[in-house]
Amino acid sequence: MAASISDRIGWRPAARDGLRRLVPLAALVGIVLTIVLLAGMGDIVLQRRVIFCLIHVVAVVGLYIFMGNSGVMNFSSAGFMAVGAYTSALLTMAPGMKSTFLPDLPAWLAAAHLSPLWGALAGGVMAGLMALVIGIPIMRLSGIGAAIATLSLMFICYIVLGNWTALTGGQQSLMGLPSYVGLWTAGLTAMVAIAVAFVYQETRGALALRGSREDEVAARGSGVRIVRERLAAFVVSGFVTGIAGVLYGHFLGTLRVESFYLDLTFLLVTMLVVGGMRSLAGAVIGAIGISILTELLRLVEVGFVLPGTSWSIATPPGLGDVALAAAMLLIILFRPQGLTGGHEIELPRSKTSTSGLATTSGNTGTANV
Amino acid sequence: MLRATDITVRFGGVRAIENVSMALQRTEILGLIGPNGAGKTTMVNVLSGFQQPHQGSVTLAGEKTGPLRADRLARSGVVRTFQAVRLFPGLTVSENLEVGLGSRGLGRAAARRRAAELLDYMGLAARAHMPGNALSYGEERRVGIARALALQPNFLLLDEPAAGLNIGEAEALGDLIRRIRADFGCGVLVIEHNMKLVMGLCERLHVLASGRTIAEGSPADVFRDTAFRSAYLGAEPA
Repeated sequence: MAASISDRIGWRPAARDGLRRLVPLAALVGIVLTIVLLAGMGDIVLQRRVIFCLIHVVAVVGLYIFMGNSGVMNFSSAGFMAVGAYTSALLTMAPGMKSTFLPDLPAWLAAAHLSPLWGALAGGVMAGLMALVIGIPIMRLSGIGAAIATLSLMFICYIVLGNWTALTGGQQSLMGLPSYVGLWTAGLTAMVAIAVAFVYQETRGALALRGSREDEVAARGSGVRIVRERLAAFVVSGFVTGIAGVLYGHFLGTLRVESFYLDLTFLLVTMLVVGGMRSLAGAVIGAIGISILTELLRLVEVGFVLPGTSWSIATPPGLGDVALAAAMLLIILFRPQGLTGGHEIELPRSKTSTSGLATTSGNTGTANV
Repeated sequence: MLRATDITVRFGGVRAIENVSMALQRTEILGLIGPNGAGKTTMVNVLSGFQQPHQGSVTLAGEKTGPLRADRLARSGVVRTFQAVRLFPGLTVSENLEVGLGSRGLGRAAARRRAAELLDYMGLAARAHMPGNALSYGEERRVGIARALALQPNFLLLDEPAAGLNIGEAEALGDLIRRIRADFGCGVLVIEHNMKLVMGLCERLHVLASGRTIAEGSPADVFRDTAFRSAYLGAEPA
């Protein structure tokens, strides 16, 4: 009896099984693709909103790679975005622009003029390197220790970049970035970021990391090198988050250090928590959902005329931030695993009925053994 | 051989373990028994690298393991289970095993196949895709053992595997442990309170009381030992 059950459940053609495992990836890429195609039909204002949303998808996916798999809080995303954004800006801006806005740059940096792609990769790599260097001491922390350490890291990035006037222009805006990011650039980058996160989470290192998320002691008992696995995830996460910063800078064409501070930190963490930090689907859906929510609230805040009537509606300023915090609070209270509940988007198991039956009969068969 | 020599462990001023030596052979089933608070779990923690002894040393196959971390010992085949089982609740049963198989160097696909084999071996095949926190108590305990087997143990340390099992289940567990020893060729150390199970299962016993060794030898010898009778049976009249 037991053998026949395991035979039935174990029998699955390998190829179909492999395809089934790609469904969560395909679903998320499909969602992003749909959004890009739909936005392509809309006006320029809508497109700009959608591009912003897609940049946030990249950043939240970056955050998820570490925080979702390791279960360790991370409040440093904004810092990694800033590092990515400024690195790419300094390497891709026209030398003439740089001599205007940043007269004190070192000569080699003032002369550097990379193509957008190389600049973007350099931005990601620089953020990844920062993750590696900072991660070595702080990856043994979890819980409140990790939360404080990563928050401090974000503050340090903010203060250093805000005062390193020669490099960033300090408190002034840095203008003249080549603004090459459009709908497709943002959309394709989001899809690649999703693919990177998916491939990573299928590795055995990521599985080991999820084990440590569930129970650190038991993970050590299963031979998991916790610090090493966390560090690997932190570096990949830093790279992807840095790329989000690159997109941000080259979309707006202007950078201000203030943009990479508490508001952004809170926004990204909210997106991940609301979507569900234990799944990639949660990261993507959270980023999209909160983007839609904040856009709607912005609309209400500015005031608009109710269609078909002469009533105009305007809410007090600040409603958007309050609603964001409220969304976070409601989720934490009533659905702590987020909207997705920590699940990926999967096909229902096609053989549920038979294996379900086997499960129950198997239970009676083995319970008395 | 896994050998601990002159181990002393203190918690604050209290000596949890004092000058205890024991060795586990690759082929034997050793029972570690003693009243509550005798230091049995502390001893397993020392052997598995979760607790660094304040004095004494642990050697694996003659090589000193030094201040080895638990994860490295696990990858070297010194694997323990936990009294509280501690499955990964949010992972599936199969993934619970795949973590350890990955630590042993298997890729994801190979780990999936091997996990299926191990679950089949443990009679848990039907549970492979269930979350770790959706199992019955007895199943949970068996998954805990399966997860340890995933690390290809040379030395398997079982911390009260029969706790909470009924008589029939405990007997089945005894058979399972013997089967594991034969199929995996590993030495097994069992912490156990159930004397009937211990007598039937273990070839050798090591008795701790208040952190000290009070008797060791074959079950028959140990049961004749007066120190054992007063410390152990005296405290818990059968």
